[in-house]
Amino acid sequence: MRLIGLLVLLVMAFVLDLCAGPVRIPIHEIFRILFSSASKNNDWYFIVKNIRLPKALTAILAGCGLSVAGLQMQTLFRNPLADPGILGITAGASFGVAAVMLSGGGMATLYAIRELGLGGSWLIVGAACSGAGVVMLFVLTISSRLKDNVLMLIIGIMMSSVTLALVSIWQYFSNPEEVKDYLLWTFGSLSGVNGPQLPIFALAIVIGLVAAFLSSKMLDALLLGENYARSMGLTVKYARVVIVCSTSLLAGSITAFCGPIGFIGVAVPHLARLFFNTSSHRILMPACCLIGTVLLLLCDSIAQWPGSDTVLPVNIITSLVGAPMVIFMLVRKKNLNIYR
Amino acid sequence: MSSNKSRYGLLFSTVASLFFVGCGQQQPGAGSGSAARGSVRISPRTVIKYARGFRIDYYDRYRDVSIVHLNGGKTDTLHYLLVEQGVEPPADRPGIPVITTPVKQFAVESSVHVALADFAGVADRIVGLGDLQYVNSPVVREGIRTGKVKQTGIDNTINRELVISMRPGVLIAMTNPDAALGQYKAIIDAGIPVISDAEWLETTPLGRAEWAKLIGALVDKEDSVGKKFDSVERAYLQLAAIGSHATVKPSVILNMPFKGVWYLPAGGNYMAQFLRDAGAGYQWMDSKGTTSLPLNFEAAAPVALKADYWLNPGDVDSKNDIRAKDSRFAAFQPFQKDAIYNFNKRVNDLHSNDYWESGIVNPQLVLADLIRILHPGLLPQDSLYYYKQLK
Amino acid sequence: MSGGSPLLQTSDLQTGYHVAGKKLLVSDKMPALHLGAGQLICLLGPNGSGKSTLLRTLAGLQPPLGGAIAITGQTGLSSAGLAKKISLVLTDRIAGNNLDVYSLVALGRYPWSDWMGGLDESDRAAIERAIESAGVGPLRNRKLHTLSDGENQKVMLARALAQDTPLLMLDEPTAHLDLPSRIRLMRLLHRLARELDKGILLSTHELDLALQVADEVWLLEATGSMHKGAPEDLILNGIFEAVFAKEDVTFDRATGVFRIPPEGGRPIALEGGGVAGFWTRRALQREGFTVTDNAGGVVITQEDGRTIWMLNGKRFVTISKLLAALNGLT
Repeated sequence: MRLIGLLVLLVMAFVLDLCAGPVRIPIHEIFRILFSSASKNNDWYFIVKNIRLPKALTAILAGCGLSVAGLQMQTLFRNPLADPGILGITAGASFGVAAVMLSGGGMATLYAIRELGLGGSWLIVGAACSGAGVVMLFVLTISSRLKDNVLMLIIGIMMSSVTLALVSIWQYFSNPEEVKDYLLWTFGSLSGVNGPQLPIFALAIVIGLVAAFLSSKMLDALLLGENYARSMGLTVKYARVVIVCSTSLLAGSITAFCGPIGFIGVAVPHLARLFFNTSSHRILMPACCLIGTVLLLLCDSIAQWPGSDTVLPVNIITSLVGAPMVIFMLVRKKNLNIYR
Repeated sequence: MSSNKSRYGLLFSTVASLFFVGCGQQQPGAGSGSAARGSVRISPRTVIKYARGFRIDYYDRYRDVSIVHLNGGKTDTLHYLLVEQGVEPPADRPGIPVITTPVKQFAVESSVHVALADFAGVADRIVGLGDLQYVNSPVVREGIRTGKVKQTGIDNTINRELVISMRPGVLIAMTNPDAALGQYKAIIDAGIPVISDAEWLETTPLGRAEWAKLIGALVDKEDSVGKKFDSVERAYLQLAAIGSHATVKPSVILNMPFKGVWYLPAGGNYMAQFLRDAGAGYQWMDSKGTTSLPLNFEAAAPVALKADYWLNPGDVDSKNDIRAKDSRFAAFQPFQKDAIYNFNKRVNDLHSNDYWESGIVNPQLVLADLIRILHPGLLPQDSLYYYKQLK
Repeated sequence: MSGGSPLLQTSDLQTGYHVAGKKLLVSDKMPALHLGAGQLICLLGPNGSGKSTLLRTLAGLQPPLGGAIAITGQTGLSSAGLAKKISLVLTDRIAGNNLDVYSLVALGRYPWSDWMGGLDESDRAAIERAIESAGVGPLRNRKLHTLSDGENQKVMLARALAQDTPLLMLDEPTAHLDLPSRIRLMRLLHRLARELDKGILLSTHELDLALQVADEVWLLEATGSMHKGAPEDLILNGIFEAVFAKEDVTFDRATGVFRIPPEGGRPIALEGGGVAGFWTRRALQREGFTVTDNAGGVVITQEDGRTIWMLNGKRFVTISKLLAALNGLT
């Protein structure tokens, strides 16, 4: 069955990602480190345990989170181009990060460090979460007054524009180092999550995923449109709240810990629909998790594989690898009706 | 003058006089009104030994400053003519910006320029500074306090009207000379010459410091600046001799990774030169390039795990700060052995780090710090100037 | 016909919208409405009379501006409660065209399935019944986007049937169908009302079909008021004509069709009845003649089983030849 095939692929991709990196570590060593926590080479132990393993786990969490969030947005707005950040969540997180990284942020940084005791990488995570949270609250408030989902979509897009414009202003007035640091952040990176951050990130993703799974029935009803959904007993406002909260948690936490990672959220739901040939969310959600994870693990492996000591940002790889893949699958199956 | 210099000067003047004699009388009369048919080279009052980004050619009625931008195989040279007050600019060099010397007022964009001016003793001639927050020089800070020094902005946010109304003799900009000076067009059109400073492209510490001689030429103080530089050079070379001959070369890791990328200086970078002169062991000492290598965290981590010293870790002030950035850094040997040193000892209340200001013109002090860190006891006294240990 | 207590009852109902804080009334002078089990009621009216608004209000999709609606005797039911009483077939486009027919029909079990959408035995049985009643059995594994409009409509009906509600409301169910499909659908609905004892309310423009299947007609006027009664009564009372009257359109009570009356109207006499007479009369009226029952004009006869038209001594074997001749004479 396809499911088994995907699971096997997942395990393979996971191992592949663990093997990828400039330092050559033989596979049996990797397994030994994973399962028995010991190794004859301290360097290798450090690398596998502290660099590669957290990165692979982050890829799994982010892959699941992004694709499920994307699926929810595509169903809620009945728009095949919707991505997890369409409500402006990703833009809000970027805004928060810009606030502490760019010139305007001297004050914000000092406040966070002194008053809240946030230092180092937690500062960026906290700032991103705050930004995403503010946008989420704004969207929720608006959505309770809206009768139509399209308006929520437009508001999300407008929020993105506004926050990105503000970020541009900051960039304009910052010195080159700050701008380059921020730019690096926008490229996305799966290697920043480690140590105490990983359990918190995992918790956020798991909560978001559970909320999403529980709303699969609501999402199925929403496929028929709001009128039919209402006639079948769905309280559309409640459904919107659950979906927006779940998506915000997923997209916001991923952006906070990994930076903005694009493409996965848009493409994976389509791949899942193609692969499993269904529109039922009970099947699509786990499918998205599997496919998203495999895709992100593969992209991460490719990002490291040039073999040289340098590494490419994961965002570049997701687009370069993912886009042709989707085009290829689209061309093979000529029926575009399935995406509506 | 050092023996090197006088030998050089003698050789030059010999050649120049032969040229003079060989080509006949070319100097125009004092009140001729028309420029000479050609310009005559004369012996330079200042010789550039280490810096490769600029040179000064001396002619009878002017000096020609060329700022060379070396980037890969491409060179882009910008010329400026330094003409004494009251002297006519040469007619055979049309279209080249003319700077009237001695320059009485400077507008500068960065604290490096402040340090260069300070080295030349003319920090009090600065009337405009790019960002008032980044400065350590007491002279300039006093000028800011009295309102004499105003903030002009940097590059594309420069306040053109303010600069034009200040009428400085020259504006020293941070722009890459490769980029067209389009954004400064208005200022240039108003008659204010703009010089692009490229000292940060120099590959040796002495080369960076030598840019002070450019300021010296602008204010007609080549002699005093030359003398001062010579003593810096002497001190630096002495220290380098000690450092590079140290028997044990401890291994060193620099900077801090961000988002999985660890930028480390390449072998041709000035920081690598510092390490070479300080007798440090650096994994990438022989790598090619003059800028930074963007390495995978994983590729640099094995070196960091076993390094003896961790230098220049970036925007951190304590071991806690480092651990907060990434808990994995605590596994590095320098972290566990308290062997982390950062050059943020001299940071003022504006959070401006003097290392980036006076540190540029005092490479001998930086080198002394490094030697003291890496080889304790090798130098008579052990206190650090720019560096401090992180606890 | 109408048996038992009504499934749907309204009193003093007012429908409309809230626009910028103000009420925009669409219909407000309506009589009390009743819909009982086994009844099929058609909602008719010219464009803009508020049919859709009324239907959506009765279905619970939008709140009434005034008055009360009782479903199986209860008022103030929640969304979930209404879902077990009323199922809808609308003209909305749906996403998820990659669904297969079975899955779509299964969605109708939404109010009854468990929190994860799982189906038990009774759910599956209801789905099978719905598929059979709507006649979409052969389509069960097909994807929605491969269906024709008529099949699509039947599938949406199956979904509504799977929802297993006493009331079924349809908004313009025959809108995109061709004539045979339209007839079949109406006949199906009529049968379902009787056999499954459902109360069915549907809005439509198909007047002649509605007149054939409706037990009762609710006729909305553009002014907001409504007339209800058996369709034949509304015709004979002249109410039908009055509501649909336009300057150049009249409703012919005798034949039950709308006609554009002839202009001018040269008189011509027609002799002959039956089917041929009926259609000959229509053809002549289309050509602009006013047909009288006098003698001395067209005479229809039969010769060897074929119909022959005689005019002024000439024989014509088809109506079109007759008309050509008539046009040539004038």
